[in-house]
Amino acid sequence: MKNTIISVLALAVVFTACNKDKTITTPADPNAFKVSVSGKIVSVKNLPADTIVGLVGGQPVGVGKYAFFNLRTNTWVANTDSASANWDLAFSGSTIRINAGTSGPGTGGAFVWVGSFDNLASVPADSVFKTDNYPAYAITKGSGKGWYSYDGATNLLNPIPGRVLVIRTGDGKYAKVEILNYYRGGVTPSASATDEVKTSEQRYYTFRYTFQSNGTTTF
Amino acid sequence: MKPTVVLFIAAFLTASSVLAQEKRIYRPEDTTRAKELNEVVVTATRTERKLANVAVPVRVIDQRTIQQAGSLRLRDILQEQAGLYMTNGFGTGVQMQGLNPDYTLIMVDGEPLVGRTAGVLDLNRVAVGNIRKIEIVKGPSSSLYGSEAMAGVINIITDNSFKKRLNTGFRYGFGNPDEGWALPGSRKSFDNIDFSLQGSTTIHKLGIQFFSDANYLDGVSFRPFSTERVPQPIWRLTNQLQLNYRISQRTKAGFSIRHAYDHIKQEFAVSNNGAVTNSYGREANKDLNSNGVLVHQFSDKIKTTLRLYATAYNGSQVLKFKEIPDSVYDDEFRQHFYRAEDQTDISWEKATLTLGAGYAIDQVNSTRYDDVNSRKQNTIGFGFTQYEWSPAEKLTVIAGIRYDDNKLFAAAVSPKLALRYTVSKKLSLRASAGRGFKAPDFRQLYLNFTNNAAGGYSVFGSIDAVKIIDELNRLGQIAEIKEDYSKLKQLAPEYSTGLNAGGTYTPVEQLSINVNLFRNDIENLIDAREVAVRSNGTQIFSYINVKNAYTEGAELELQWQWNKYFRVNGGYQFLYTADKADLKRIRSKSVFTRDENGYSRLLERREYSGLPNRSRHMLNLKLCYDDQSSFATFRAIYRGKWVVSDADGNGVYNSHDEFASGFVLFNLSAGRQFKNGIRLQAGMDNVLNYRDINNLPNLPGRMFWLGAQFKLIP
Repeated sequence: MKNTIISVLALAVVFTACNKDKTITTPADPNAFKVSVSGKIVSVKNLPADTIVGLVGGQPVGVGKYAFFNLRTNTWVANTDSASANWDLAFSGSTIRINAGTSGPGTGGAFVWVGSFDNLASVPADSVFKTDNYPAYAITKGSGKGWYSYDGATNLLNPIPGRVLVIRTGDGKYAKVEILNYYRGGVTPSASATDEVKTSEQRYYTFRYTFQSNGTTTF
Repeated sequence: MKPTVVLFIAAFLTASSVLAQEKRIYRPEDTTRAKELNEVVVTATRTERKLANVAVPVRVIDQRTIQQAGSLRLRDILQEQAGLYMTNGFGTGVQMQGLNPDYTLIMVDGEPLVGRTAGVLDLNRVAVGNIRKIEIVKGPSSSLYGSEAMAGVINIITDNSFKKRLNTGFRYGFGNPDEGWALPGSRKSFDNIDFSLQGSTTIHKLGIQFFSDANYLDGVSFRPFSTERVPQPIWRLTNQLQLNYRISQRTKAGFSIRHAYDHIKQEFAVSNNGAVTNSYGREANKDLNSNGVLVHQFSDKIKTTLRLYATAYNGSQVLKFKEIPDSVYDDEFRQHFYRAEDQTDISWEKATLTLGAGYAIDQVNSTRYDDVNSRKQNTIGFGFTQYEWSPAEKLTVIAGIRYDDNKLFAAAVSPKLALRYTVSKKLSLRASAGRGFKAPDFRQLYLNFTNNAAGGYSVFGSIDAVKIIDELNRLGQIAEIKEDYSKLKQLAPEYSTGLNAGGTYTPVEQLSINVNLFRNDIENLIDAREVAVRSNGTQIFSYINVKNAYTEGAELELQWQWNKYFRVNGGYQFLYTADKADLKRIRSKSVFTRDENGYSRLLERREYSGLPNRSRHMLNLKLCYDDQSSFATFRAIYRGKWVVSDADGNGVYNSHDEFASGFVLFNLSAGRQFKNGIRLQAGMDNVLNYRDINNLPNLPGRMFWLGAQFKLIP
């Protein structure tokens, strides 16, 4: 058995070596969950946030679980670790929770800042961080109220451009987050797409953020 | 292109060129243009005036144009006019100078049609078989007509000749858009059948005329997972009787009654993720209009016209879902409108004074309000005056004002001033400024609607909103009162201030160029806003006068009589629109969009697209051959792209949003009048079979049609 594995590996090495001048790259799946780091900016693609599994009374529903994310370690945290300070943001449908108040044991907080991501150099001195207080959230729910706008005519949800989520992490440090898209592959379906497409493609977050690990408010 | 289409076009062109070889002597006074300038119009000033002397932009569509295009419904002919944009949703409405269908008054013989759904008066309700002409006045005309005449007025003038005749017409159309879906019961082709009968005679002093029209249209199923046809099979019947009695040399009485009936059969299956729902039901719309007119000429100088009008519109819809027991969608809307008015015109050598006053009652019963049995009523008292003065031969000045006093909402004052100056035989200039208004409709005043299917939000009309919310608050069912709650008060009419300036240039007799620049500033637009939130989180909306917008642009019209037989008509409209609140937000740098990476950046002013569902460019072109016995037309309609949804989510329509593609429609028709009174016609609408299921659901695919008309009494 072990020999087989070794020989396969060896073959693979030979194969790779043979093709060195014409590199084979398997095309990256644009729909896969992916975290990439470029300087201070971390990009997250296709974080599934309780994606649709069926219809109940005609309304699309997920299983009701959150996707927990740690901005400090750039990782998707297991649901079993939800009762800890090891996550900063939790996503389910259009709801985003922070790790504080009624949502978690951490020292999190958040508010929505209007402006472009690059222009937010530091957390403004007069900022007021809110915490989750169910049914209210620090990142306000509702179309046009927090981070997204929902178009009832097209049944499409889009993050409002020029909205930065200023986050206090589960351990009291700061990050700025820009939600880029709510659909799989980071592309909103066309207004004329079928309801089936709009339903199955939604609840996949693409976002970018900068985390300040030294505890200061400067990004 | 399919062989049938090619054959058809070839036959059409051959026929045109053969017919063209028949030579006749050409006289410039025969030109349609010359005839048109001598045409008398009534809508612009409420008095009979030659089109050439009118100070406001007016367009006339004559009977021959309507017949040659093979138009059956009002929509068919209006879509071929420059600057008129056909809207989709609640039937087909007309957008004029960039204003929504709500703001164009549509009249038959000077009396308004009622029964709008969400502000739209469906243009398919009106058969055009007995229309003598359509007059389109652009720019605010509330100084003469009151509410709704904000963007302009479309007045449909029925045939008023009472000579002895009896005609019948038949037309059959067939369309096959070459598409169908797998669901059993889907339809791939559609039919359009029309039958009409028209007759008139004069017995002693009594003129009698009648018109009957029956029209059947069904559509194709062009959506996947649904057998629903667009349109659903619809029957339309129209009957009209007109009487005219010459009491004396100076006194004339007229009476007209018109009845229109639409019946739509709803029966379709929709498949949603494999689960099929069968819907069935019907929709019926009845329209009854009756008006009496008494005209008395006191002397050469003084004439008075008394008009009495009563109209009833009754729309009802019942829809059931087979798989869901006890699910019935039942909608009923009944509107009654009564009006009495008198208009007196006093003419001097160089001036005409018009004085008018009247009283109107508007009533609605609907399931959309609290109770179908509770009648909502508004009463309107109004007076208007207009003074038309020609101080010099070349100059005409018109000043007018109207006051409308409403029981349910604030009064409206609508002034207008118009000038016309003849620079030379070749050039005339006109300018006008006026104010138009639209009264809040009953929906905005009385709607009582809770959408249980979509989350349970409610919309309350402005009259009861405060009362309902205060009561809910007392019961502890209100979680939050929004800022806009404080703005809830008696609704005011929506206003527009319109400026129109332009002129007509006729370098040679055969060519005429018409230019009009316009700007409409619209204030007080009524919009639904969130005013409160219930304890269970559902939102409550009501109507407030909040929005301000403008539309501006240019219209260009060209008419060229190439020779005795060939004529070219062209029209173009350029349009800019804006919501003033959007502009303010953009200027204050609080609106963003996304760059090619999806990252936010500021939206620039030049990226702003204005109000949705408006095309910046619209073009119409018509080539026509006409030798009085044979004719052929080729018509092209171009409509530029228009924004349909806020794809970048910033709440402002801009160049990064989703647009519907611009398109071109080609229509053809040809016909011949035979000596024995038979007229044969054939045509093809939408030659290229252009369709856009999502953005133009009302546009059918390519249709071939054949028509015949017979004179039953020679």
